[in-house]
Formats: sequence, C-alpha cells, structure tokens
Amino acid sequence: MRKQMNLIVIGSAMIAGSFIGCSNKPSEAEMKQLNDLKAEVSSLEKAISARESEKAELLKAIAEKDAQLAICLKDKEALQQHIKGMQ
Amino acid sequence: MKYFIRLNLIALLLSTIAFVAIGQIELTKDEWQKQITSLTTSRNDLKNKLEGLQKEVANLQKQDGEKALALKQCQDEVAALHGKEEAPFIAKLDAIDARINELTRLSNQDLWARKAELDTVQKWISNARKDPLSALKKFKDRLDSQQGRLDALKKNLEQIIASGQIMPIYTVGTWAKDRDCLWNIAKKPKIYNNPFLWPKIWQGNRDQIKNPDVIHPGQKLKIPPKAKLTKEERSALKRYWSNKQGK
Repeated sequence: MRKQMNLIVIGSAMIAGSFIGCSNKPSEAEMKQLNDLKAEVSSLEKAISARESEKAELLKAIAEKDAQLAICLKDKEALQQHIKGMQ
Repeated sequence: MKYFIRLNLIALLLSTIAFVAIGQIELTKDEWQKQITSLTTSRNDLKNKLEGLQKEVANLQKQDGEKALALKQCQDEVAALHGKEEAPFIAKLDAIDARINELTRLSNQDLWARKAELDTVQKWISNARKDPLSALKKFKDRLDSQQGRLDALKKNLEQIIASGQIMPIYTVGTWAKDRDCLWNIAKKPKIYNNPFLWPKIWQGNRDQIKNPDVIHPGQKLKIPPKAKLTKEERSALKRYWSNKQGK
C-alpha cells in the first residue's frame, strides 16, 4: 500500500514538474510590452476613426458651401442682368 | 488508506486538468512573438494612415475656410448690388401666399364671386418681379411657385365657366357709349373674342331676348361657355336670317 502511495506521489510530482519545467512563457515585462502595444493600436484605431469622421464632415461642409456659392454666383449674375434690364 | 489513495488520484486529475487549461490560456513565447510582430506592423500602418488623414483634414480645413470666405464675399457683393432689406419683400411674398391660400380654399361659387382678386394677386406677383430681390433664386423660386398656383386657380375658374356650372354675367351698356349689341358683345376679348358666336348669348338668354337685334342697357346677360355653335344655335341663326330676308 505504501508502495502504491509512493508511486502516486512520484507520478503526480512528475506530471506537475513536466508542466512547470517545460513551459516557455513570456515574462511579465514582455506581456506588458504586448499589452502596451495592443493599447497603442486600439488608440490609433480610435484616432483614425475620429479623423475619418472629421474628414467626412468637412467634405460635407465644403460641398454645401460649393452649392451655396454656385447659387450666390448665379444670383449675382441674375441680379446684374435684372438691374441692367431696369435701366 | 484506500480513501486517501482515491483522494490523491482525484487531486492529481484535477491538477492535470488545471495545468492543461492554464497552458491553453497563457501564451507561449512563440505566440507572444507572433503577436508582437503583427501588432507592430499594424501600429506602423495605422500611424502612417493617421498621418495621411491628419494632412488631408488640415487641407480640407483650409479649403473649408477659403470657401467660407468666398461665399461671404459673394453674399456681400449681392447685398451691395440690390442694397435692400429682405424683410419687407418677404412680407409681400407672405401676403401673396396668404391670399392664394385663401382663394384656393374657396368653393367654385365663391371663387367665381371673388374672381377679380385673381387679377389683384397677378398684379402683386408682377410688381414683385420688378423688385431686384426677385432675381435671387430663393425669391424667384417662391414667385414661380406662387405664379403656378395662381395659374392653377385661373385654369380652375376657366373650367368652372367652360363646364357651365357658373355663367358669367354681362351687363349691357348703352349703344352710344359702349356700342353694345350681341355681335359686339361676343366680339369682346373677355367674352368670346369671336363675334360669330353671338347666337350663343341670344340662345342662352331667350327668356329676356325675343329679338336679338334689340337689347337694352342694364340688361344682365348670362354668357354661356365659349364653344362652337350647337345645332340649336345654328338653327336659330338660320331662322334669324330667313326672317330678316323675309322682311
């Protein structure tokens, strides 16, 4: 019985040892580097998304101003002709 | 003792499962390296993209500013050209709209009774078009829309008259002043603009015209809708001429 118990204890120790001894894990510092990099990428993605929204808004604003300017120029021309016609 | 062995076996099994699970969650060095490489590439790409976008945004902001300036300049030039406050002109347009809305809501009978107002509104629109502000698109569009609605009202009125639902009334003037006879009345542009349609007026007023050569000042004649002479009207005309020749 004692033999069996010894075998079990030794077996357990071997299995546990194999897990611990054979592990090839990154260190804490390396994991921090990875997490920092992930955070940086996420932050860049957010910044790009914000810039893209800003760009879309600007494009819209420019298009609106272009349309208003076209109307204004037509108004100016029509007004000049109207005034000429009245004279 | 047996109990102790079983307990030990269970503990061994559990610890094995825990080790395997932890091994699956935690990264290996190779996986860490792969992720670092991939993320570094992404970061560099994103940095380049952000830099490009920032340049584009700055350029667009500049363009936006320039456009705003050009627009302001154009608007100032337009304001200087007409040199007027828009508010009084807008009030005139509002009054036209209000009157057209009022006329549009009228029944055919009431519209007929107030038909003179259509001419008044037409005058208002024509006067508004003389104002330099009417050349501006926003006002021109509004005036065009008002003209369209007024035209629709006029057309509606014409249809009411043409359908015979309502007959215009003409009050006969004197021969000395107005030269009113059925021929001349039919000739008037506002009546038929065609003297040969005079039998229509005659036949439409048989109750008060026995002899078409005789009408009296102050007589109120119904004016039937403008159309070709009907069979009855042509027959009446024939009879009229035969009677004349008989005399």
